[in-house]
Amino acid sequence: MQGALIVTVLSIAAIFLALTILIVTGKAWREFRDGWCRARRRVLEPLILKYTHGSDASVLPALGGAIARRDRVVVETILLDHVSRVRGIEHERLCRALDELGFVDRFLANLRGSRWWGRAKAAEKLGIASAKRATSQLAAALTDEVPEVRLRAAKALGLVGGRAAVLPLVNALTEPNRWSTIRIADILTGMGGEVVKELMDAFPKLNAHAKLAALDILGRIHALEAVPWLLSRLDDPESNVRARAAHALGAIGVVDAAPVLRKALTDAAWPVRAMAAKALGRVHDLEAIPALCGALRDSEWWVRANAAEALKLAGPPGIEALEGMLKDTDLYATHQACLMLQDAGVLDRRVAELAGNGERRSAAESVVSRFVQAGQLSRLRELATAHSDAVVREAVLRLLPQKAVTGAAQ
Amino acid sequence: MSVAKRILVAEDDPVTRRFVVSLLTERGYEVLVAEDGEHAIATATTAQPDLIVSDLVMPYRDGYEVLRAIRTDERLKNIPVLILSMRDHEEDIVRGFEQGADEYIVKPFNAREFVSRVRKLLEPRRA
Repeated sequence: MQGALIVTVLSIAAIFLALTILIVTGKAWREFRDGWCRARRRVLEPLILKYTHGSDASVLPALGGAIARRDRVVVETILLDHVSRVRGIEHERLCRALDELGFVDRFLANLRGSRWWGRAKAAEKLGIASAKRATSQLAAALTDEVPEVRLRAAKALGLVGGRAAVLPLVNALTEPNRWSTIRIADILTGMGGEVVKELMDAFPKLNAHAKLAALDILGRIHALEAVPWLLSRLDDPESNVRARAAHALGAIGVVDAAPVLRKALTDAAWPVRAMAAKALGRVHDLEAIPALCGALRDSEWWVRANAAEALKLAGPPGIEALEGMLKDTDLYATHQACLMLQDAGVLDRRVAELAGNGERRSAAESVVSRFVQAGQLSRLRELATAHSDAVVREAVLRLLPQKAVTGAAQ
Repeated sequence: MSVAKRILVAEDDPVTRRFVVSLLTERGYEVLVAEDGEHAIATATTAQPDLIVSDLVMPYRDGYEVLRAIRTDERLKNIPVLILSMRDHEEDIVRGFEQGADEYIVKPFNAREFVSRVRKLLEPRRA
């Protein structure tokens, strides 16, 4: 009995000892390996950077003709670290070195590997290496069963660029259940001008979801060359397409689009009218001021709000128009004009002018009275009690109705 | 024989720092390095470089603070400063120039463009 106990205790102690030795050896090995890698990096990095800044066609002479098998990981790390930090010729030279030294081939082999994390890592590295010849394999990886691999392949295609990389990403927009549209749209947006033609060409074949995403992307990358095409989308039978096209035109901000956007202010669908109003504000179209004043009477709140915002963005002529709308018979239009004038600080400025005299004071009194008539009293009440100028406070109190004055005093 | 121009590189990312140092050394400049803002100001004060290349996001004192310290120090205020940063928002760039930066380059950067701007900043200034 006692012997069995001793054997058990010794066995447990032996297991613990073995585990401790294993952990300590593992840690020592990792530290030794890291130290060795750092030492090799100190030797190899200056050689690689010398090649990068130079004009030699091949990286091999800089590395003494070949790289030892044991140095491959260090060289790969150095190249990948630097290639993601630079653009231009240096970037191209580092990419060429990655290909020349066989790293791109190894990443491609890993992309076909059985472990998903290996495939994901390989896709990421191919993107960093801007490996154009990996485009078709990366496009194929967009159908990988593991979402992480698909996403890294999509990001890699975004970094690789080129027509062949754009098309699979555009197609991915049509599968919102499989992909996060926002992520794919971000990748396509990051690719810039090279996606414009592909998006326009693919548009008729896209589903409704992807069409809207495509229009947003064109707006986000400020695709000037897409303006005529976007203008023609304002005649699309689908109201969501018309609305997003108007939004994209506003984001691009081309004044040439203004006449068509003015026409879109009378569209039968309110989202189109709302986006057209917003876009007209962004393109600073002064000729649209009468039409935007008309849009302040729209039956839909979003249209009125965007029209008021657009008038504010039009500068002094727009502000003047908003003040003019205070006299309008449409209560909704007057209310929206009040809100925007208050938001733009015009009410505060007009109230300050009550301390003056002559025409400015008369104009200020007229604006403040219109606010009172519209029942927009909250800011006036605040100014009646908190304005720094006693003359102004008194003038506001005179213009406020008795009931509001009591409220302000309280 | 002309004396090599002295450039201080303030950058906390070791990979970028080594790349920039290698790029400038290759072109014949004498390069000093600082791994954080505090060290950058101290080195600038003692070494009086001809140009400072500074990152914006650094430990202890960021690039804006480095700029402010340099522009308010009588001995350092005329040293040109080139900001090399990942921050590409309009507000960051405008703020950089408002705080006294002479150039602003966004990372990832084009090495040749960077070198030509460095060269331009080191040219004797016209009165």
